[in-house]
Amino acid sequence: MKSIKLLFFMLFFGQLGFSGQLQVVATYGYIGDIAQRIGKDKVEVVSLARGDYNPHIIIPKPSYIAKMRKADLLIINGGQLEIGWLPQIIKQANNGAVQPGERGFLDLSMHVHLIDVPTSVSRELGDVHPEGNPHFFMDPDNIPIVAKAITERLSELDPDNQAFYEENNKEFYALWQQKMKTWEEKLKPFKGVKVVEYHKIFDYFLDRFGFVIAGTIEPLPGIPPTTKHIADVEKLIDREKVQFILQDVYNPQDAALYLSKKLNIKLLILPHDVGAVKEADNVFSVFDEIVRRLTNG
Amino acid sequence: MKLQKKCILAFPILFVWSCGFLRAQSREGSAFDQSRYVPDIALILDVSGVGRDMANEKYYSLTIPGFSYPFLNQPSPSGLNAQRGMNFNYGEMSLYSVVDPYFDLFAVIDLAPDGAGLEEAYFTTRKLPYGFKIKAGKFLASFGRVNEQHEHYWDFANQPLISMALFGEDGLNEIGAQATWVAPTPFFLVFGGEVLNGKNQQSFGTGGFSDPQNIISINPVQGPNLYIGFIRSSFDIDEASILFGVSNAMGAARNADPGFSSAGETGNAVAANTDIAGADLTVKYSLDAIRFIGFQSEFMFRVMKGTQYTHESFGGDSLQSLDKHNSGFYAQLVAKLDQLWEIGVRYDLLMQNDVVLGGRNMPLPSNLPRYSAMIEYSPTEFSRLRLQFDRDQSRCLPVSGGEWSQQPYMQVILQANLTIGAHGAHAF
Repeated sequence: MKSIKLLFFMLFFGQLGFSGQLQVVATYGYIGDIAQRIGKDKVEVVSLARGDYNPHIIIPKPSYIAKMRKADLLIINGGQLEIGWLPQIIKQANNGAVQPGERGFLDLSMHVHLIDVPTSVSRELGDVHPEGNPHFFMDPDNIPIVAKAITERLSELDPDNQAFYEENNKEFYALWQQKMKTWEEKLKPFKGVKVVEYHKIFDYFLDRFGFVIAGTIEPLPGIPPTTKHIADVEKLIDREKVQFILQDVYNPQDAALYLSKKLNIKLLILPHDVGAVKEADNVFSVFDEIVRRLTNG
Repeated sequence: MKLQKKCILAFPILFVWSCGFLRAQSREGSAFDQSRYVPDIALILDVSGVGRDMANEKYYSLTIPGFSYPFLNQPSPSGLNAQRGMNFNYGEMSLYSVVDPYFDLFAVIDLAPDGAGLEEAYFTTRKLPYGFKIKAGKFLASFGRVNEQHEHYWDFANQPLISMALFGEDGLNEIGAQATWVAPTPFFLVFGGEVLNGKNQQSFGTGGFSDPQNIISINPVQGPNLYIGFIRSSFDIDEASILFGVSNAMGAARNADPGFSSAGETGNAVAANTDIAGADLTVKYSLDAIRFIGFQSEFMFRVMKGTQYTHESFGGDSLQSLDKHNSGFYAQLVAKLDQLWEIGVRYDLLMQNDVVLGGRNMPLPSNLPRYSAMIEYSPTEFSRLRLQFDRDQSRCLPVSGGEWSQQPYMQVILQANLTIGAHGAHAF
C-alpha cells in the first residue's frame, strides 16, 4: 500500500524515471545531434521533426506534448521556422520551464546572423519570414556558433557539469574546423557556378562557398510552381548557363525533373537536415553528403 | 528653366532633410510608444454560396424531434450557410498575447453585419508546477474533439450533426474555469476538469420559470451548473498518430418555451438533470512530407431525466415525468492529396431517440443520417476554397397525432475562408 502511494506521488510530481540527466527537446535533428555531442551522457535528447519532412510543416503530434512535458530545455531553430507547429505543443505541455523567455527555452536564431531580412513583409510575397531566411543551419560556419550557444545554456542549467560541456564543445569545434577545411578544398572549383534551387533553403550554404543562385523553381516561398513560372525558369537556366538544379527531399520533384531532362542539366537532391537522406545521419555527414553529391555531379 | 532645375534638386534635399527631422521628432515623440506590445491580431473571414432544394422558410421550420426542444429552431436563419444564395458566415477576430511571465490571454470576437459578440475570452497560466494549467473566462468546453475547435479549423463547412443536436449551433460555449494536468508519462496523457455556468439551452440551462398563475414555479439553478471531466491520450504507431479521449458533462437542464408563462397560450417547460458522455478517436497517418490521411469520429450519448410541465391556453397545468435517451456519432475521412488539394467524406447518424413522457413512449424517428462529401483547394495556408455536398435526412416536421415526417434535403456549399494577420498555429 505504501509503495503504491509512493508510486502515485512520484507519478504526480513528475519524478518517475528521473535519472539525473538533463532532458533536452530539440525541434530538428541537427539541433538534437549537436546537443547530444555537447551533453553526451549527461543529457537525454529527443528530436521532434523528421529530417526528411518539410521543416515548415510538421504535424503537431500529441506525442510531442508528452516529450515537452518532461523537458528541462527546449532548443528551437527559430526565425519562425517552427511557427506553424510548435507553439501549440508548448502551450499544451503545461511545462513552465520551457516557455519562451525562460532559461529552459533556447532560440538559436538569436545567436546567428540571418540573411535576406525583408525590409517590408506581405503575404503577397508568399511565406516570407520577417526575421530573415531561417535555414541558417546550412552555413557550416554557423554550426560552431550554435554549439557554443547550446554549451552555454547547458552550463547555465547544469553548472556542476560546465567544464564537461565546455570540453566537449572544444573537441567538437576542433573536429568541425578540420572538416571545414576539407569541404572548402573540395568546393573551391565551384566558385561562381550558377545554380537554381526549388526553395530558398540552401542559400546559406551556396553563399558560403561562392555559388551563384540564379533563381528558384518556387515562384514565391511556399507557393508551388505554375506552368508559366517553370517556363520562365527554363529561359533563365538557358540564359544564365545554370549548371545544377538543387532540390530538397520533401518538395515535389516533378518540375525539377522536367527541367533537368529537357535542358539536360544535373538535378541534385541534397539533405537539409539530419535524417533527410540515409547517408546524412549526423551533423557532419549532412555536409559530407552535400559536398559529395555536388562534387560527384 | 534654371530655377526649375534648382527646384528639382532642392526638392530631394528638402525631403531627405525633413525625413531626418521627422525621425528625430518621432523618436522623441515615441518615448511612451507601446506599439510593439500590440497583441497578435488576426481576422478570419468566411463566406459561402449555398444551393438547396428547399425553400428557406421551410428549412428554418425544421427540427430534430427528441434531440432539440421544438421551440429552439434548428437550423436557425442566422446559422452557418443557412440561406440559399450568399451567406456571410462570420468575421472572426482573434487577439492573443502573453500577459506577463505568468499568464497568456486569448480572445475571439465574432463579427457579424448586425453586431459583434464575444465568442471566447480567457486566460491560461504559464508556469504552474507539476504539469498543471488553469484556464478561466468564456471558452469552448473541452468536451470531445470538435467542440473546442473553431469553425475555420473544421474539415467540413458545417458542424457534426450530433454535436449540433446536443449543444446547438454555437457548441458548448460557457463561462467558467478549467484545470488540466498532463501526466509525466512517456505517452501523452492529460486529465481535465471544468466548472461552468451551464447555460447551454440544448442540454442544460439555469433559468427558472413559472406559469402565469404561479401554480408551477421552478427556481433558477444557482451557482455553477455544469461539470465536465475528460481524459485524453495519444500514441504513435509508425507514422500514424492516434488520439483518443472520453468526456462527461453533467448539469441541470431548465428550459421553457415562451408560451409557458403567457396567459392564453400553450407551452411546455422542462426541469431535468442531464448527463452526456462522449468518446472520440482521431488518427492521422502521414504518407510523406505532404500527404496524409485523417480519420476522426465521435460518439455522444445523452440521458436527460426530469419533469415536463405543460401550461394549457385555457389555464390548466399538468406535469409528466420525462426520460430521454439520445445518441449519435459521426465519422469522417479526409485525405490531403498534395500541397493544394484535400478531399473528404463524412457520415453522420443520430441513432437512439427514446423519449418516455409520463410513462408513454413517444413516436419519434430514430436512425437519422446525413451524408457529406467535400473537396478543398488551399492556395496557401491563409486561403481556402471548399466545395461541399450534403444530403441531410435528419430534419423533420410535425404531422398530426404527434407523429413526425422526415424532410430530406440536399445542399451544395461553396465556401471561402481567408485569414489575415498574426494567427497562431493549430493544435493536432
